[in-house]
Amino acid sequence: MCGIAGVMYRGSDATFGTGEALIRMLDGCQHRGPDSTGFALYAPEASGRLKLRFFIDPESETDSDVAIAEIRQRLVDLGAGIEEEARAGDNYRVTILYDGDVQKLSYEMKHAAKVISIGTSLDIVKDVGSAYDVDDRYHVNQFHGTHGLGHVRLATESDVKPEASHPFWATGFADVAIVHNGQITNYWKMRRRLEQREFEFTTDNDSELIAVYLADKLAQGVKLQDALSTSIDDLDGTFSFLVSTGDEIGYAKDRLAAKPMIMYEDDDLVAIASEEVSLNRLFPGKALNTREPAPGTYATWSRSI
Amino acid sequence: MVSIDLAELSVREANAQLRTLGEAGEEVEILNPDARHHIGVGLTAPINVNVQGSAGYFCAGLTDQARFQVSHNVGWGVGDNMYSGSVVVGGNAGAIPGVAIRGAEIVIKGNMGSRAGQVMKAGTLCCAGNANFMAGYMMYGGRIIILGDSGERVGEDMSSGEIFVAGSVQDLGSDAMLTDVDSKELQSVYEFLDRYGIKAPKGFSKIVNAGKKLRYGTPETPMRSIPFNTFSGDSTYWNPKIQEDITVKAQSGRYRIRGYGGARPLPHLSDIGFRKDLTQAGDDRDVVSKVRMATEIGGINGARPLKISMPVMIAPMSYGALSRSTKYAIAMGSAMAGIAENTGEGGMSDAQRDAAGQLIFQCLGGRLGWNIHDMRRADALEIYISQGAKPGLGGQLMAKKVTPELAEIRGIPSGIDLRSPSRHPDILGADDLVIKVEEFREATGYEVPVSVKLGAGRIRDDIKIAAKDGFDFVELDGMQGSTGAGSAEVIDNVGIPTLPAIIEAIEALEEIDARDNIQLVVMGGLRDGVDAVKALCLGADAVAFGTSVIVAGGCISCMQCHIGQCVTGIATQDPEHEKRYQPEVEASNIHRFLESVRWQIAAITRGLGYDDVASLNRDDLVALTREAADITGLPYEPPMAEAVQGQMGVSS
Repeated sequence: MCGIAGVMYRGSDATFGTGEALIRMLDGCQHRGPDSTGFALYAPEASGRLKLRFFIDPESETDSDVAIAEIRQRLVDLGAGIEEEARAGDNYRVTILYDGDVQKLSYEMKHAAKVISIGTSLDIVKDVGSAYDVDDRYHVNQFHGTHGLGHVRLATESDVKPEASHPFWATGFADVAIVHNGQITNYWKMRRRLEQREFEFTTDNDSELIAVYLADKLAQGVKLQDALSTSIDDLDGTFSFLVSTGDEIGYAKDRLAAKPMIMYEDDDLVAIASEEVSLNRLFPGKALNTREPAPGTYATWSRSI
Repeated sequence: MVSIDLAELSVREANAQLRTLGEAGEEVEILNPDARHHIGVGLTAPINVNVQGSAGYFCAGLTDQARFQVSHNVGWGVGDNMYSGSVVVGGNAGAIPGVAIRGAEIVIKGNMGSRAGQVMKAGTLCCAGNANFMAGYMMYGGRIIILGDSGERVGEDMSSGEIFVAGSVQDLGSDAMLTDVDSKELQSVYEFLDRYGIKAPKGFSKIVNAGKKLRYGTPETPMRSIPFNTFSGDSTYWNPKIQEDITVKAQSGRYRIRGYGGARPLPHLSDIGFRKDLTQAGDDRDVVSKVRMATEIGGINGARPLKISMPVMIAPMSYGALSRSTKYAIAMGSAMAGIAENTGEGGMSDAQRDAAGQLIFQCLGGRLGWNIHDMRRADALEIYISQGAKPGLGGQLMAKKVTPELAEIRGIPSGIDLRSPSRHPDILGADDLVIKVEEFREATGYEVPVSVKLGAGRIRDDIKIAAKDGFDFVELDGMQGSTGAGSAEVIDNVGIPTLPAIIEAIEALEEIDARDNIQLVVMGGLRDGVDAVKALCLGADAVAFGTSVIVAGGCISCMQCHIGQCVTGIATQDPEHEKRYQPEVEASNIHRFLESVRWQIAAITRGLGYDDVASLNRDDLVALTREAADITGLPYEPPMAEAVQGQMGVSS
């Protein structure tokens, strides 16, 4: 139960204020989900480096020091070189030099700590509270890049916890993130299929499933738009979701059109959101020529390189 | 022309100004709308409103007479439930444009989203561009004109009305068919297009209801009536109930529809008792004056609360399932007792409004009888999501009961087997629900409490959503709740019993620290004041009675409510049968029953050592069965069971 937003700026210099844009869009639809807010933000990739973000228990300073020490130890054991690290809000963020198997690293780290995201260009910031609350804690407004996704959540089936908030990272795969409004009713069936192929999941959330489902296809060399096309056949339930990778964003919408989605496109950007009121936050006072994607459709946009 | 700038004012402030300007007959332009929701909601004056830009959800919703122009786009549900008046949209419209309209004219110059005109009753919805899928879904009347192409499943389960499509028709919905357009109709369509300056196409395809699903193939056979105690059976595997069931199905060849509540043993409030010996509690004849029972419901977010003389209300029951006279009697009886009555699904009648002291107006997915004028004269509004007897399913009202008069108030064709939709057109999740609640608040100036009726199913999730979406109170209905007509399989096998429902609701609210953010009214098989006090002890703020009120008012529990030939004149729309019902007499009976409830509540409260019903709490209770102990977490004290049997002279 939520509101979603996504933006991609055209142009390659990656100096666009994606953080600020998403904050405004999410503030515009915060009524759809007051419990938590999150952002998937993409900066230009630094070659050979991976950015990792973890939740650290805010309750106890000692415990969090122990947790961070354990994360560092694991990383070193996996052959990663720690290049940069910092505490931000309840997060521990670290950039590593790593040329090994990302899936192996992801699963190892997932067993050791609460991983939020892993990517060469992706960084996920999410926490309880409103878009502006999360911005206060993590300074999302200072984030620049080419594209990103955002999500506001009204917790229904799980608790109001930072780790239950969205966007979801595709556990095991670098740089794939998802925001989703709706409910996947064949969740367990789809998950068992993926688990039989030894994929792991961090949560029981259906959005994480979509992310892993798509990331798996991408890893097999399927184009994002083709993966979205099959997702409409394979996923059952109500959904409007946005997906992003290092280079692309895309959407897919169920055949029932039960969940809203509206988009705006011009020479400078493409923006998609649950409600037009979010799009208008980027263009105050301007009447926009928007378009509502038809039921059962999908589309993708690529970053200019 | 007066300008209202939404860059300066909130929509709430703007709508308040609009209402004042409407009364003064001023024309208004809305600047910088920026796709905000609820613009113009609740306006009932014949003025022109020009929105310069795009509007969000429910633009012009719940209005009458006003004429709106929106220069650009609109979000979901433009013109929701609009009576007369018009909306002209320069750009595109989101999903469900013209939802539940009852006479308005809505014109979309661009394209329109899915489920256009869902549950519309009358009026015209016209789209100059293309329509997305399921246009005319469940429409009951009126006309949809699509000048471009229409998407999939046009006219899905429409029961009346016409859909004209100038472009291609992708495919037809269930029970819809193509038919010829007669010249008179065509003339009328051309006149409409001309009036709105839209270029007319050469011709149209016309889609109407095919009439294959409006009535069940075979009517439900009236059977020898089996009284409730027999019908409920006991532990016997093949009992009279099973026998009757099979005989009926051998005639109809489908699932059974029947009235009344569940007829199988379930854990209930009778499985818990009071910790104290209450044998002396009834001795004080003056006990009612010694216990504070007055309760306020619905005021916690600043709305004007219901003020009830005791923590008791009437459960929602529709005019439709019940006769007009019965609803009138209940309204009178509830007013005599100083408590609140509830319209249920079928709309509000003048007689009921005048007779009821306080009246809750219920809104269901079919929007049958729903309108802004009755919202304004209600004391509380209630969004029905589901009910205990048949959670997740819509209502059934057999053709026999869908008389012309009843059809008129509901805005539907008469003589159909009415199957009310189980879902709201515009509530597909908690995120949409919050926007709907806000629309009701805008329409009534934030003065009237808004409640949600929930059948006990996924209580933990549902109750949290209710609290988060800002409802003032929730009416939680357990599995033992009754219905005027429902599938017997569902009545007996689906849902969560009332007792665990209360426990889970309270736990859920405590989990999110929201016990004080919403009030809880419990219903579902509560029989008397003893049950009421137990529910209050478990944490309910008030309770509601349905079946016991009907029984007090003359129901003989023959369980034939759905047939429409109720011999007591209660569950019927047949004037000959209704004649037998004497509303004044039954109102007095209902009132006397409610006074007995009052006395029971007072006596038990006093017996437990309190002088205020607000003091009742869990520690006053024990569980009489192991199952009840497991459900409630109350101490299992079997020795109490014996003592409890004698309490209050009520078999508890």
